[in-house]
Order: sequence, then structure tokens, then C-alpha cells
Amino acid sequence: MSDDQIPVTVLTGYLGAGKTTLLNRILSENHGRKFAVVINEFGELGVDNDLVVDADEEVFEMNNGCICCTVRGDLIRIIGGLMKRKGRFDGIIVETTGLADPAPVAQTFFADDEVKRAAKLDSVVTVVDAKNLPARLADTREAEEQIAFADLIILNKMDLVDEQGAREIEGRIRAINPWAQLIRSTKSDVPIASVLGREAFNLEKIVERVPDFLSGEDNHTHDTQILSCSFQAASPLDPERFNAWISQVLAVKGQDLLRTKGILAYANDDRVFAFQAVHMLADGDFIRPWKAGEERLSRIVFIGRDLNRPWLRRGFEACQADAPKTNYEAELARWGAPA
Amino acid sequence: MSTTTAPEFLIETRGTTREFGAYVVGIAHCRATGTPGFGLGDGTLRIGLDGAPSQVHRGAVLAIAADCRAGFLTGGDDGKLATTTDATTILGDYGNRWVEHVAAHPAGVRAAACGKMLHVLDGAGTPRKSLAHPSTVSGVDIDAKGKRLVASHYNGASMWFFAAKEDKPRVLEWKGSHGMVLFHPDGDHVVSAMQENTLHGWRLSDGQHMRMSGYPAKTKSMAFTAKGRWLATAGAESVVLLPFFGGGPMGKPPQELAGGDAVICTQIATHPDHEVVAAGFADGLVLVAEIASGKVLPIAPPGRGGISALAWHPKGHALAFGTEAGHAAVVDFSGR
Ligand SMILES: [Zn+2]
Repeated sequence: MSDDQIPVTVLTGYLGAGKTTLLNRILSENHGRKFAVVINEFGELGVDNDLVVDADEEVFEMNNGCICCTVRGDLIRIIGGLMKRKGRFDGIIVETTGLADPAPVAQTFFADDEVKRAAKLDSVVTVVDAKNLPARLADTREAEEQIAFADLIILNKMDLVDEQGAREIEGRIRAINPWAQLIRSTKSDVPIASVLGREAFNLEKIVERVPDFLSGEDNHTHDTQILSCSFQAASPLDPERFNAWISQVLAVKGQDLLRTKGILAYANDDRVFAFQAVHMLADGDFIRPWKAGEERLSRIVFIGRDLNRPWLRRGFEACQADAPKTNYEAELARWGAPA
Repeated sequence: MSTTTAPEFLIETRGTTREFGAYVVGIAHCRATGTPGFGLGDGTLRIGLDGAPSQVHRGAVLAIAADCRAGFLTGGDDGKLATTTDATTILGDYGNRWVEHVAAHPAGVRAAACGKMLHVLDGAGTPRKSLAHPSTVSGVDIDAKGKRLVASHYNGASMWFFAAKEDKPRVLEWKGSHGMVLFHPDGDHVVSAMQENTLHGWRLSDGQHMRMSGYPAKTKSMAFTAKGRWLATAGAESVVLLPFFGGGPMGKPPQELAGGDAVICTQIATHPDHEVVAAGFADGLVLVAEIASGKVLPIAPPGRGGISALAWHPKGHALAFGTEAGHAAVVDFSGR
């Protein structure tokens, strides 16, 4: 099934950050692959491609009454239409407007069965402008969301900042999203191979990209709304506890949780469990056996707004099979009603 | 005495099969000749199983309908609306947007949905109206008399009169994302298929709503039987029939035909005269079922790609179908 799915790369970034330059490079460089491109109506491409589709970014609610459960209705139709030309292209690139929230795009690939069958989300790539990012973060919510959602962040226009400035910017980005890969560039001149085929939403790949600084530090700077919280647990988790707890956390806090990823060691199980969620839409599975000598640590990262770090940490720790049951029950009960 | 034998599929004795090599998007039969036209994902139209491919669109054919009098009306991802008999005429060029839905009526009405617009042309090809909608049009139908058009979109559907001097739609509201939309032959009901694997219906005379949920997949094909007694629908592991008589469909249980294989029904075509339904499934199975008796006639076995198009000959003696993998076939029920 998975070999049959067309990979989809989502390209986000503020207007002027260098997103269109990157897109034109992907399309014009000779890499032997052909892409269908979904652009917004204001987009402009310097490349002639009969597989360019104009989209309207129609964000639709999913009819479950929840404001964060949204999908891109136009994308569902467009992917259905492109499937009629299957075999004539190798991948799809979806460019969003600078003001777009990436969540509905990503959620489309979790929520619609036909889209899931036909295509798979490869990664969310965000292009940011090293010089103007602080201003963007200060005056818009979208710039922050696009960083929070990214699997790859291209820190562009590096010629306009010095090393000190670059490090500050990277620190800001890391505080929002410790998981994404960061690449510096000047004119979006990053290797195409680092942008495409990342399989960032492939559960099997999550484990390969665990950031080294899952220290449990509160990555919070005062001028950003979005922050990340990372935790680890040394004792194996009780799967029933974790399922009940994470379901409750996502149900109550899903609107504020942009992305969640975890790699879990379950008690009495020799397999690695990988978990991911976009807002409240979650997906998880066993991906492979633990290797001999591999440390069976459970790790989880939450990226979102107004996160109660102690609650999340204590809850996650209480999911360990050897943690007292009363502790666990108390932690679960915290999430019984909207916080 | 009794032994179990594999079902005999009619395609083996009465079918003609061709390999087209491109996704069969839709099939329509010419109103003048009865010849089937196959609209394909490579932008070609084949008139008859052995017709030469005619490149009517640059990318893919996205929609096909029998044109008003003769030939085939097609919409493509090149933004064009075309009609083809022996030659192709471009009726509309709408730029970068895909033409995703088309409809035509013998009274001389043609409709093409392109983005949020529904372009309406007459039989001569003259543009008559360009009707704007609040979001992308996701389904189009013309009523049995050729007087009204309905276009589905986000949060409902809009109904328009072809002959109206002033274009103001009657908006049929229902929250959510609507896809395929159909007029009942009586002109008093409109039914749409929704994103959440449900159907929604409106009774126009009294504004009553109808809901039908519980489909495991999206309904992408549905049709009323000849006299409108049943709505036959795809999207379940059987053919689901909703009764539009005896006070139905509200409060009346649906009937199911030809279920049991745990494979989703993808295409439905109702017989032009009888209460008989043809159904195509995601594994390539095609069958014909009689509603009254529940009797099933196997037409084609699984294996050549999910059924993506299915249509009866207007006289009802032959059935044409096509698959996602690019196979097409015609099965003739009349004696040879
Ligand atoms: Zn939600």
C-alpha cells in the first residue's frame, strides 16, 4: 500500500521568505522527477508545467463540532483529480500562502480515507527569512505556527545576518520546534535531496530524528506563544495507561497542541511503538523490534500553546507501568475536563 | 448432486474488453447513436471500444456527459469545456481552473463547473450564464425537464433556473462539505453525498431534510431507478437502496443488494427502464441485480482494477464499464 502512495511535500513560509525561489528550483533542476504543484491563486511560477493546479485554500470543518478539526477541501478534490493521471508524475508539492495555517493541510492526510489511500504526507518544509523572522514572530501568529509545524526549516537569506544574529534566530526556532531539521541558506540554495523524500510522517522515521536535547527543559522564550515540551521515561510504559492518558490529553488540549511525536517502550513488549498527532488526529503503530543493547527509553515531544509542562510531565511519567496506580489515576483525572 | 462452482461471468461469453492504458474517468452514451464514449485520465476520448483516441484535453478528462443532441461533452484539467462528435469543438476556456463537472440536457442546456463558477451554455454553444457560488462547485445536475440546475458546494447546494432573467439561487443549506448532487426524476427532491460518508436530501416542496448515514466510505456514485422509486447508492459493501415511495425515504429502512464480500461498491448505474441496478466494486467486480427479487447476475470478475465508470446503453441492452487501471469493456445482453 505505501509504495503506491504519492509523496506530498507541503511548502510554507512567509511572503518574501524565498518559498517561490525554492519551488522554482525544485521544478527546474534536472533530477529526473516530475512534480504536480498545487499553488494558491496569488502564486507565480517561472516554470512551465502542465501539472500546476491553482487552489483556493478552502478550509472546511470536519463536522465534529471542533474548531481545530479542519481539512483542505480543495486538496481532497485536487488529489482525487491528480490520481486520474497517476503514473505521470512522481510527487506532489503543495505551496501554501504566507498566511496559511499548515494544520488543515496536514490533517487532510489523516482525515480523508481516499487521500490516505492515494497519497502520503512526506514533510512540511518551512522557509523563513533570517533577517525578518523576529519581526514576523512578533506581529503574526502564522509565522510561529509554520515553524511549529515544520519538519525542515530553511533559514534563508543568511547573507543578511551575522553569525551572532543567526544563532539567536536558531535559538528562537529551537524553542518553538526542537524536532525540525534546520538548514541555513542564502537564496534557497539547499540540496533538493534534503527537501524531498524526507518521510517525516512515516512512523518508522520518527525514531531516527529524535533531537539530542530532549532534556526536559522548558523551551520557553517570553515573546513566543508556542513552545515545546519534551519528556522521557526510563521505565517501560503501560500501553493501556498511555492510550487512555494521551487520548484524554488530545481531546482536551488538542486545539492547542500543534504536533505531538513520541517513541515508546511498552512493558512486556519487544517492539518500538511510534506515535504522532496533528492537533487531535493521531496515528500510532509498532515500527520495529528494539535492538540488542538499545536503551529502552520512552520519549515524547509536545509542540503547542499554553502547555502546562508539569501536568504533561507528571502524566507521562505516571504512564510508566511501575508508577503507583493512584498517581496515574490522579493524573488522568486532571484531564477530565477542559483545563 | 450439488457441487459448488465458480460463478459464471457474463463478460466471458458476451463481453468485449479493451486495454486503454489510462484511468477510465467516465462513460456516456451518445444520444443520437448510442455509442459509448470513454473519457480517460490521459486526456483522450474513445468513441466506441475501438474508436481512435482523440486528444480532447491536454491533461486529463475530468468529467463526461452525453451532449444535448449527439456526441460527448467533456471537461478537463486544462480548464476547457469541449464537445466531440467526429471533431472536437472547444465550447469554453476557463483558464487555470479545472473543469470538474459537466452536465447536459436534450432541451439544449449545458453546464460546466469550474472553481466557484457554474458556466451555463445553450445547445448552440452560446454562453448564457456564469453563476457564482460561495465555494468550489463539487457536483452538478440538471432536472428531468431541463429547467433547473443544482450545484453543490460547502454548506449546501444552490438551485438555479435556466430561463430566469435575474439569477438568484434557491440555497439549500446544510452544514458541511457536499459532493455529488442529484435531482430526483420528480423534481421535488435533491440529494447530495457528503464528505462524512453520509447523504443529505432536501424535499423542495416543504423544505424537509433527509439524512442517511452509516456508509463506510464516501458515496461517489448514485442514481435513481427509472421511475424514481429507489435511489441506488455506492459507498457501502453492498448496493444500498433508499425507497422514495410509501412515505420514504424518511423513516423507511434501506434495502441492500449484492453484499457480503467486504469490498466497497464504487459505481452504480440504474437501468433505463427496469428496476435493475448495475454495480461496480473496488476490486473490479461488476454485477447486475434485480431489486424485486434480489437476484444477482455476475458480469465481470475482480482483478482488473477498481471500477471507476459504469453506464447502461440508453436502450438497456448493454452495459459499459471501465477501471482505474485502464481496462474497459462492453457486455451485450441482447441475443447475437
Ligand atoms: Zn479538533
